[in-house]
Amino acid sequence: MYEKKIERAILILHERLLPDGGFVELPKAMYRVDATAWAIIALATAGGSDRNAIAAARTRLAASQMKDGRVSLSKEYPPACWPTALAVLAWQGSMVERNAHALAISFLLNTVGRMSKKTPDSPVADDPSIKGWPWIENTSSWVEPTALALLALRTAGHEGHPRAREAVRMLMNRQLPHGGWNYGNTVVYGQELYQQPGSTGIALAALAGQVDRAEVRKSLDYLRNQAERYRSPFSLCWALLALSAWGEKPDQGRAWIIESLDLQGRRGVYGTSLLCLLIASFFVDGDISKSLESCGAQK
Amino acid sequence: MKEREGALNFMNRREFLSAVITGCMGLAAGGAAMLGSGCTVERRTADAFIGKAGGYYADIPSIIGAGLRELGVARQEIEGKRILLKPNLIESRQGAAHITTHPLMIQGAIEAFRKYGAAEIIVAEGPGHCRDTLLVLEETGLIDVLRSERITFTDLNQDSWYTVRNAGGRTKLKQLILPETLKRVDWIVSMPKLKTHHWAGITLSMKNLFGVMPGIFYGWPKNVFHWEGIEKSIFDINVTVGAHFTIVDGIVGMEGDGPIMGKPKQAGVIVMGTNLVAADATCARIMGINPQKVAYLAAAAGRLGPIKESNIFQRGEKIESVRTNFELLQNIKAHRGLRSI
Repeated sequence: MYEKKIERAILILHERLLPDGGFVELPKAMYRVDATAWAIIALATAGGSDRNAIAAARTRLAASQMKDGRVSLSKEYPPACWPTALAVLAWQGSMVERNAHALAISFLLNTVGRMSKKTPDSPVADDPSIKGWPWIENTSSWVEPTALALLALRTAGHEGHPRAREAVRMLMNRQLPHGGWNYGNTVVYGQELYQQPGSTGIALAALAGQVDRAEVRKSLDYLRNQAERYRSPFSLCWALLALSAWGEKPDQGRAWIIESLDLQGRRGVYGTSLLCLLIASFFVDGDISKSLESCGAQK
Repeated sequence: MKEREGALNFMNRREFLSAVITGCMGLAAGGAAMLGSGCTVERRTADAFIGKAGGYYADIPSIIGAGLRELGVARQEIEGKRILLKPNLIESRQGAAHITTHPLMIQGAIEAFRKYGAAEIIVAEGPGHCRDTLLVLEETGLIDVLRSERITFTDLNQDSWYTVRNAGGRTKLKQLILPETLKRVDWIVSMPKLKTHHWAGITLSMKNLFGVMPGIFYGWPKNVFHWEGIEKSIFDINVTVGAHFTIVDGIVGMEGDGPIMGKPKQAGVIVMGTNLVAADATCARIMGINPQKVAYLAAAAGRLGPIKESNIFQRGEKIESVRTNFELLQNIKAHRGLRSI
């Protein structure tokens, strides 16, 4: 029964496919690079049987790449370069797009969020001198883009690169004292901020295998205790992907994913990125990085 | 449908007349860019309305209706129009309703605008901290209101987009990228929460428009604007977006270390206005804060609207009858020196 509903979700995903191979984020909207990258990731983790669609989407994504390797949300606004990490994941293992893949990795390795020296009187407890990745070029590093870049570098076999090691350090610096992550601040003016499930899930998924379990125990406890509560795709899926990466995927995980899909009747249709997260989370067992590596190897 | 190209909607009909009377025709003809040519804009006036509401089960639609009448908003201005309500949904936390605009306040606005004959009402927001907008809708309870009222919600962080010239010109940004939904509406209503803010001093109608700017182009948080300067960014966004109206949820606000970690503060007010600067200045006074000491209001004063008490016609309740000092923290730089005497 679950399989039929996931098959239906994949059919809906195909309805978001444009003639040129790209995907839209919402029906009747324009081409989006992030939606296209997520569609590739979802179709690849779902078994990769739809090779033509994956190949066409990868080619469309490559057409969006700029000369320096970045894949920005819009060519008219290059600073919005955060989709580059998604593109690296989407091109993983593609022989046809290996040059695009290598160029995107090079861009990631040469891009860094704005840094500053930590001062004793700063109201913010985090260390802003640690290198990570920003959402938007020339702004500060934040948790999600740093975690996605780390995940992309790990998947591409660069987990030993100094930038990947520093990304681990940056994420650990932004872990909240009571566990979990939010967008990227921990303690401001002496008050510990609240954690968010989505940010926590992304950070933990990226850190799998990079730090000892004891170092993230509180964060895993938080997600494990909270995951059952979420049916919004972003929080639910990143919670499941994280727990899966740490070998703790809940038995009911697939049922929760189906419940979330079913809720579209009341909530309205999900954007392509969220739909793809649901599909990928349904199929990924273990570390999503390993799943994508093996999907790529089949090509 | 109105095309919104770098809109400047800070002057309503009454303010226009006021400007004409005081001889500031350059203001009416050219907007903010033409100010300063001998025209002292602090002579401009605006109205602000204060309504009392003891709690969220008060008759909010009637209070908002009274505010619209007192502020001189004619039925023809709303009838047949598409109204966008923009609440503050920065992030959510179960049991911390004082972070975000209350769903019953939004429901009250929906009802009030429907009574005025609005053709369509859209609720839209691009949360500044939380990437999971659906989670925010669920945790705040807004999703239930949207469903019961059959209202469409648009995630402005993920919307299609268009680019306009930065009509404010205070930051280095030549253009701003706006969500496509803005093109499809006639009226933008800012619906903030009455809160202190540890970077901006306070966060009200004008700062709330940060949430209009798409996260896919400005990040989570919208860090591009932090690097450009919060006060300058508030100015540029407000001039360029040009909201038409504000309804401030001050029934329960936040004091101390806002906009997230502060304490709930019962203020029991709904503040409204067609001029966001004047409405925010009024809110500040209710909070026991001198608006002239708030950097973003001082920067907007004389350009986008009045902040002097003598230039704001107070409708509804008097400020003195509802003033309740919001706690300011001395360790927070942006709070120092804000208190009114």
